[in-house]
Amino acid sequence: MIIRVLYNVTMRIDWSRYDPGKFYDELISTPGNPRTASRSLATYLGSLSDQQLNRRQRAAELAIEEMGITFTVYSEGQNIDRSWPFDIIPRIIAGREWHRLQLGLTQRLSALNMFIEDLYNEQKIVKDRVFPQTLLKGSQNFLKQCVGVKPLYGAWAHVCGTDLVRDSDGIMYVLEDNLRVPSGVSYMIENRRITKQVFPELFRRRTILPVDDYPAHLFDMLASLSPRPLDHPEIVVLTPGIYNSAYFEHSFIAQQMGTELVEGSDLFVDSDDCVYMRTIDGKQRVDVIYRRINDDFLDPEAFRPDSRLGVRGLHRAWMAGNVAVANAPGAGVADDKVVYTFVPEIIRYYLDQDPIIPNVPSYRCMDKGSREHVLKNLRSLVVKPANESGGYGMLVGPASTAAERKKFSNLIKRNPRNYIAQPVLSLSTAPTLCNQRVEPRHLDLRPFILQSEQSYVTAGGLTRVALSKGSLVVNSSQGGGSKDTWIIESGTR
Amino acid sequence: MLSRVAERLYWMARYIERAENTARLVSVYSMLLLDLPRGVGIHWRQLVEIYGGNELFYSRYRSDGESNILKFIAADTGNPGSLLATLAMARENVRTTRDQIPSEAWQAINELYLFGRRRLPAPTFRKNLHRILSEIIARCQRTTGVLSGAMSHGPGYQFVRIGRNIERADMTSRIVDVGSTTLIAEGDERKILANRLWMNVLNALSAHQMYRQYVRRRIRRGDVIRYLMEDADFPRSVSHSLLQLQECLGQLPNQKKPEQAIARLRKSIMKQEFEDLAGDSLHKFIDHLQEDLAGIHQIIARTWFVTEVDEKV
Repeated sequence: MIIRVLYNVTMRIDWSRYDPGKFYDELISTPGNPRTASRSLATYLGSLSDQQLNRRQRAAELAIEEMGITFTVYSEGQNIDRSWPFDIIPRIIAGREWHRLQLGLTQRLSALNMFIEDLYNEQKIVKDRVFPQTLLKGSQNFLKQCVGVKPLYGAWAHVCGTDLVRDSDGIMYVLEDNLRVPSGVSYMIENRRITKQVFPELFRRRTILPVDDYPAHLFDMLASLSPRPLDHPEIVVLTPGIYNSAYFEHSFIAQQMGTELVEGSDLFVDSDDCVYMRTIDGKQRVDVIYRRINDDFLDPEAFRPDSRLGVRGLHRAWMAGNVAVANAPGAGVADDKVVYTFVPEIIRYYLDQDPIIPNVPSYRCMDKGSREHVLKNLRSLVVKPANESGGYGMLVGPASTAAERKKFSNLIKRNPRNYIAQPVLSLSTAPTLCNQRVEPRHLDLRPFILQSEQSYVTAGGLTRVALSKGSLVVNSSQGGGSKDTWIIESGTR
Repeated sequence: MLSRVAERLYWMARYIERAENTARLVSVYSMLLLDLPRGVGIHWRQLVEIYGGNELFYSRYRSDGESNILKFIAADTGNPGSLLATLAMARENVRTTRDQIPSEAWQAINELYLFGRRRLPAPTFRKNLHRILSEIIARCQRTTGVLSGAMSHGPGYQFVRIGRNIERADMTSRIVDVGSTTLIAEGDERKILANRLWMNVLNALSAHQMYRQYVRRRIRRGDVIRYLMEDADFPRSVSHSLLQLQECLGQLPNQKKPEQAIARLRKSIMKQEFEDLAGDSLHKFIDHLQEDLAGIHQIIARTWFVTEVDEKV
């Protein structure tokens, strides 16, 4: 007779052995003690065997493959579609903290929009000597072609992705504002869909704020921009095409909103300065363009003449008020690391309020005193150029070589306006499934904010996590993954 | 519907239909070479001729032996008409309109391309010629089936059907052309050989059984040509394809011009007597037919794919 082994030895997550060390952990306050909002999740995860947990991770990976959730990496001259890297353990933020952050994000974007409008019109903030004239003169993103324009509701940056990080002091800081063509929102929505598939039981017991209403809010916001009073304005999503790394998102958003996904060659500007798309019924007027193409490439007539992605005459049509463009051309002027350091002053100047979410303390190399401090302390600071994104062109002091520091020292001296420096942050961590074990990994958060006649902030946002031990790099192109983000209202259902 | 999307769907369907018929064409040729005795006047090089690929072929290859010709037609990506290049282009058109077609269709086309890329350039291709070609034909048909069964039959699908039928009419005429370019000398065996030739043409188009059932006569050159050109019900006949085209056009805006051109072409086919048309004249007739189809494509492109409003730039 064969006696079957009914119970194999099972390993379970032992939270008392999970130690985030000196870092702030989003779920576990000290070994063995989950934070209030995370308590029931921690208990639930602790009740699963390692095997069960790993099975769920595999189920999530399979769902991602089948749903075709990909991102594109450009490498060695080829575009590779990779499956979206995802960790099944959600990151939790308590409802009460989140509501304060929401207010802070709305405050910030309101002030930034007033700032952009002011720069392209009266320039009061410069005349009042709050924002230096020299900085405006040296700005690469200030487009003189946009001077004098007053878009509807004073909204220039209609869609903003603001990166938040939590330092070891437990405080959330704004790391940067992405005002040009921020991406990631489709992954936020897909992450939730996957988590619902993998842990359906968790959604029954608690109030987790939904995230999938974002496309509806985006649609309403875009519709409110239409220059023609119509019941059904024609809204399109303008993509650079299949080779863009965010093409999946462009097509996802167009599909979710039920609008056309167009490329530059699908649109043209006719002699009446209106934008039309080419359809099988002939030309069809377009009212609102949600563009996912950078300013430079938007219109070869107004900007880079060699652009083949844009639409000739688009800028002219926008200036004439015949089409709305989101985000407005020129909005990028406020998406600059040096301008970033002024945001607290900008909020005080336009809103007469104190900033709700603080900036990361920053040194402007343009100020003599700060510059000397930076040059002396390169080893312990992070130096960032004004206009790069995705973590390029940076110096991370503690990880740098003497030669790199020498190079940056020269760069700063030559063009101080172009650099800021910040202390190295100790990004917060959260439990992450790595090689079949749960370990702390560093993460950040990108909520998305919409603004036109009204404002809207996503419930949470996209949490990006650095998957290798000790790493602070969360970009998906450089080994980063992502997590579902839960905003949990207190009280259970 | 965006013109660009309509155009890509149209080309996707053309390429899939072209791939299927190219496989059929190569298949019939290899059968004929087995069935007909040497010296009958059939040669692999006629395949390149039928394809209109003479110039390109001789610029790329020195000898026109079987292996070079098979390579040129099946796997040479420097030949835009090769089977592999055709599959790659079908896939590329779908890749950029993935949100418009059911995901099973994208998957079917993607797998079809991957199959071709693996098997067509392989040294074992010649040995397994028929198995590989029938697999390609079957996979093309699967795609057509998925599109018909899972894609909304709105304007987008009409462009798929238009692409398929215009390509099918063209390819059927090329397969009939095999018969016109194969010269059978006078002699005792003439009748038997001719019979074999036309039976293979019918087989290439999966038309043998239907011909038997509906024509109810032994295989005769004139009857076969008439069946493949004029029959209203056989799905691969030129006439049937044109009727299908007209039905699709009825569901689209501004269809007048293409409709007239198709009616004109169909009339000229129905008027033609094939019985007494000698090989050379048949070949010429088929050339004209193909030119007319190219003209119809031009009209379709001008009507729906290119809006002329801003050509002033």
